[in-house]
Amino acid sequence: MRGYAAFLGKELIEAVRTYKLFLMLVIFGVFGMSSPLLAKLTPQMIASVVSPELAATIPAPSAVDAWTQFYKNVGQLGLVILIIMFSGVLANELSKGTLVNVVTKGLSRGAVILAKLTSMVAIWTGSLVLAAGLTWVYTQYLFGSNALPHLVVSVVLLWVFGVFLLSLLVCAATLGSNNWVALLITVAVVAVGLVAGIIPAAYHYNPLSLASQNMALITGTVTLGDLWPAIGITLGLIVVLVAAAIGIFRRRVL
Amino acid sequence: MNEIGQYIPFLIPLAIAQVVLMVVAIVHIVRHRHYRFGSMALWIVVAVVFGFIGPVVYFVFGRDRDE
Amino acid sequence: MSVLEIDHVDKAFGSHQVLNKMTMDVPEHCVFGFVGQNGAGKTTTMKIALGLLKADGGVVRVCGEQVTYGNSRTNRHVGYLPDVPEFYGYMRPMEYLRLCGQVTGLSSGQIATRGGELLEMVGLAGVKRRIGGFSRGMKQRLGIAQALLNQPELVICDEPTSALDPIGRKEVLDILASLKDRTTVVFSTHVLSDVERICDQVAILHGGRIALAGTIAEIKAQHRHHGFVVECANPADADRLAGAAELKSMGINTTVEGATLTVMIAQHAGGDGAPRADGAAGLVAPSVTGLAGVAPAAPSPQFSQSAGSAPSTWSGSDQAGGQLLLGALTRLDITPVRFEQMEPTLESLFAEVVK
Repeated sequence: MRGYAAFLGKELIEAVRTYKLFLMLVIFGVFGMSSPLLAKLTPQMIASVVSPELAATIPAPSAVDAWTQFYKNVGQLGLVILIIMFSGVLANELSKGTLVNVVTKGLSRGAVILAKLTSMVAIWTGSLVLAAGLTWVYTQYLFGSNALPHLVVSVVLLWVFGVFLLSLLVCAATLGSNNWVALLITVAVVAVGLVAGIIPAAYHYNPLSLASQNMALITGTVTLGDLWPAIGITLGLIVVLVAAAIGIFRRRVL
Repeated sequence: MNEIGQYIPFLIPLAIAQVVLMVVAIVHIVRHRHYRFGSMALWIVVAVVFGFIGPVVYFVFGRDRDE
Repeated sequence: MSVLEIDHVDKAFGSHQVLNKMTMDVPEHCVFGFVGQNGAGKTTTMKIALGLLKADGGVVRVCGEQVTYGNSRTNRHVGYLPDVPEFYGYMRPMEYLRLCGQVTGLSSGQIATRGGELLEMVGLAGVKRRIGGFSRGMKQRLGIAQALLNQPELVICDEPTSALDPIGRKEVLDILASLKDRTTVVFSTHVLSDVERICDQVAILHGGRIALAGTIAEIKAQHRHHGFVVECANPADADRLAGAAELKSMGINTTVEGATLTVMIAQHAGGDGAPRADGAAGLVAPSVTGLAGVAPAAPSPQFSQSAGSAPSTWSGSDQAGGQLLLGALTRLDITPVRFEQMEPTLESLFAEVVK
């Protein structure tokens, strides 16, 4: 516990001084701001790029379009950036050997994994809250309303999926000493989830639904009840992945 | 309705975010001079030309891990 | 009491047997030099002692407690300095010590006082820069400070000087030497002059086991070569001296290398007293009876070889040999540039062991 707190402090100093926190907040802040703006400007862009006639046929943009943009930006590109940003979470330390010192001083390896995960989840939470908050504020400003069902729940689901990806990343990182290994394994697992998406009924169980069915949940084509199995599976996988990461890391030569 | 005026609450923060990113990146590039690859000139060009993406690419891939 | 006991430890990487029933004891309060060629297994041994590597067999004890692989409890007695210590480049020295102190469970008061003292000791007090901009020597000194933070009974240093320039090396050695009264230092190296400078005890690792161990004085006494080194002004003089009849008649081995002549009087006089078979037969046990009165300049000192007399002391044989040599020098009218008794160097011992 003591070691966990000390190492978490180190992780947070690292996030600040290596600009990770700064970059995440700026990137997600820009995503949050630009999503409603992009939705608002889409008709004008179509009008100038394609043809004013086509633009006239699409309905006037609304809050739904703003949030659709949000899930496109944050739920796709945002997650990719999250994973790339933290892909070196263990590899940097393993390749340099910086952990040897603290581990020989009595820091438990479990604490290393948990502290790293905590710091990543904290940064992810802050970034996501910032992005969602800005989208909410600017949607209110541009479209006058955010009155959509399940808005908070759908963001929470995206958050859970982000935590799942980070657990997966940490677990994959314990297997190799190169950050590409962690990145590749994570991408491969997501790819499997995408392929599984071909089966129509699979979305009930697929963790990826937490990041892909958000708009369906908001527009009402999917109910929260439909997603409970996927939520349960994702939460279960997070626990399994974290336990596996600690288990593998305990046996690893540093 | 004033079209431009409506977007000022967006344009100002976005512009600030972009300028801050660029300045922070350039200051870092000039002060450290050691990169995982590439030269100072290359990274400054990247940070300036590729507005929003450039500084991010520098910090994620170009910054020397030791600094 | 031994601070570190390594008892019949085996370790193989694949088919390569690095340690083979290796046994070593490190007594308290000494600076212990752990010597071996590159790849001899020094780092492997140290990592096993720290619980960072799993031994295939055998037992390692630190302060009487057995070391286990993984989170070894014994590490609370140990400070470790890796060969190239790696720190978090974005931290400042005191921040790093604070992290280490918190991990070991020191109170923040202890961390502040001890951390301050240690940074003072290693000459990093008041350095506010981030570690990323440190020189290797500075990193090594910070490494010493972090290794001493929890007041360990044993400090293990893996080649602490090998990556340093001469000044950095001197600084690190001086610091290590100064630790003797507060802890025990084991340091591995392949630089023998470092060992000679600061170590009390030395162990040479070769072929997966300790080939030679003890205090430096003991080892040197055991492996003493009896003889002299004479450097003449030119090679011709050296050759003339080597051919001197009195040396020949005694069957003394001489070797000439340029202008330098090495005269072996008797090879090896270990505690076991057994001369090496390959040694010069010359004066294995000469009696010095009757020599006392011989003037150094006497052209032909008499050597009575009354084997029946009490075993002579080796210094006696040295003296006799030296006088014989001086006699030859005088007779041949050669003035030596250098004339000294042969001292076994750690280098020569090491070369012998490794051969």
